[in-house]
Amino acid sequence: MATQNEQGQAQRIAAYAQRKHLSGTTLARWQAWPTTDQAALFSLLQDLQCGENHLKDLLDWFEEIAARDEQTVATILERRELRSAQATPGSRHDKLKAVKTVLRKIRYPRLTRLEENIHQVVKALDLGRTGRLSFPSDFEGDEVTVTLTVRNVHELQNALSQLQQRLDDGRFQRVFDTLDEV
Amino acid sequence: MYRPTEILIERGEEDAPVVQRALIKLPELPVRIVEKDWEQKEAWSAGKDPFGAGKRRLFFTRQRARFLEHCPAGTPGLVCCNYLIVSLISNCPMDCSYCFLQEYLANNPALKVFTNSDDLLDEIAQVVDRQPWRQFRIGTGELSDSLALDALVGFSADLVPFFAARKNVLLELKTKSDCIDNLLTLESHGRVVVSWSLTPPAIADTEEYGTASFAKRLRAARRVQQAGYKIGFHFDPLIEYPNWEADYQQTLEQVFTTVDPRGVAWVSFGSLRLTPSLRKVIRQRFPQTPLLSGEQVLCDDGKWRTFQALRVKMYRSLISQLNSLAPTIPVYMCMETAPVWQKVFGRAPGCDKDVARSLTKPNLSHGSPPQ
Repeated sequence: MATQNEQGQAQRIAAYAQRKHLSGTTLARWQAWPTTDQAALFSLLQDLQCGENHLKDLLDWFEEIAARDEQTVATILERRELRSAQATPGSRHDKLKAVKTVLRKIRYPRLTRLEENIHQVVKALDLGRTGRLSFPSDFEGDEVTVTLTVRNVHELQNALSQLQQRLDDGRFQRVFDTLDEV
Repeated sequence: MYRPTEILIERGEEDAPVVQRALIKLPELPVRIVEKDWEQKEAWSAGKDPFGAGKRRLFFTRQRARFLEHCPAGTPGLVCCNYLIVSLISNCPMDCSYCFLQEYLANNPALKVFTNSDDLLDEIAQVVDRQPWRQFRIGTGELSDSLALDALVGFSADLVPFFAARKNVLLELKTKSDCIDNLLTLESHGRVVVSWSLTPPAIADTEEYGTASFAKRLRAARRVQQAGYKIGFHFDPLIEYPNWEADYQQTLEQVFTTVDPRGVAWVSFGSLRLTPSLRKVIRQRFPQTPLLSGEQVLCDDGKWRTFQALRVKMYRSLISQLNSLAPTIPVYMCMETAPVWQKVFGRAPGCDKDVARSLTKPNLSHGSPPQ
């Protein structure tokens, strides 16, 4: 039988769901968690006030991290990096962004490391405002798109010679090598 | 052995040989004669796990659609191996947590066994015998395990002699079982490949419910090979988890210290791939599984896979190990893109036929002629 505390918590969660127009499936999924985990997430949501879509991401990631690390959601939420993300100053939106960034990093440690490494090698290319590199979503595929934005032939010549220099000194090669490094 | 809770027989199929064979093996089970549209009329019980319940209801019925189909792995954007599939059984007695049947056959109220295997053989003969210059690979392991029910239904006794008598086609029986006894008395003339889907014991023991253990599968592979069959191995799904590299390497090592690599027709690798709705089903049916916790991303074909750099690393690691253990075995990847082939093998096949030829040619040219 549910204790008074548990009943109170269930009511608070149901009220939150109603206020945020959560779907029955999402609410049921949350309520299927152990009560301590339900409460820990509820406490986080007091700060973040997420709606359906963000909440579904959080549910996915928490469940997946919990299964992988054999930890409860409440324990995961105790992690220092999550606590400091939660304490991010600024708007509710800033907090949500910070928490989701940290949580995604915990959920996808190697993919986020790859993203950071790619960011570093692209930065090292130093293409200025004329050149831009873009990558397929989540680095699926083998195409890197190089975009040059120029206003005249002179700028184009400069941009091309800059690219040639980066090819010669191996910085472009480093970009392609990094894509394969995990 | 698989034990259903109930047997259903489509009216008019009571005397089919496969039905008779099964009734002898399961004499004490309740039997119901039903109309051919029973499936459509069957009201779904609102039970907790209707898909799981369906597996335990054995339904003998006629296949009215075509048997022979192209493997669904031939998806645009992915390298295809021109594999054909036939299904004498639809649904599987085993219950692997990652199995696509949970989504594909979600509404099936039973495990269906088709009673008209003669029609299947006629259909294959029409295609294969009319194009003697072409080489085919046909498998029965798409919608069910090829051998898990063989002690009950005995389809191998129809299939093996049929394929053994043909020079331009290989039959693949794909299994996670050790149900090979019927095969041992049949002559395959090198035209039947019995293959095992393998994962390390850590995965097999926790995610592949109702299957034979890794050790049993390996023992069965050795026995079948000793009986003159070619064998194959599929490391598919390839699952990323904290100890994947050491576990898979140990698995490969055990395989090739147990069987003779010269009698291995092919080895395939394929990353775990899950549609979004299959992920939902897995969450519901196997809430504790860590399978969904790998670093998977949504790919262009709408399936979640381990992100490319990591799965390329996995393929490279295992294929390199395989090459050191058994360098001459044909190897391919299932449902992968040309860029991944390029990164793993240093080349992408020019066309589907290239992959198909690399698998059929070495295996059909060495087959002994039918007597």
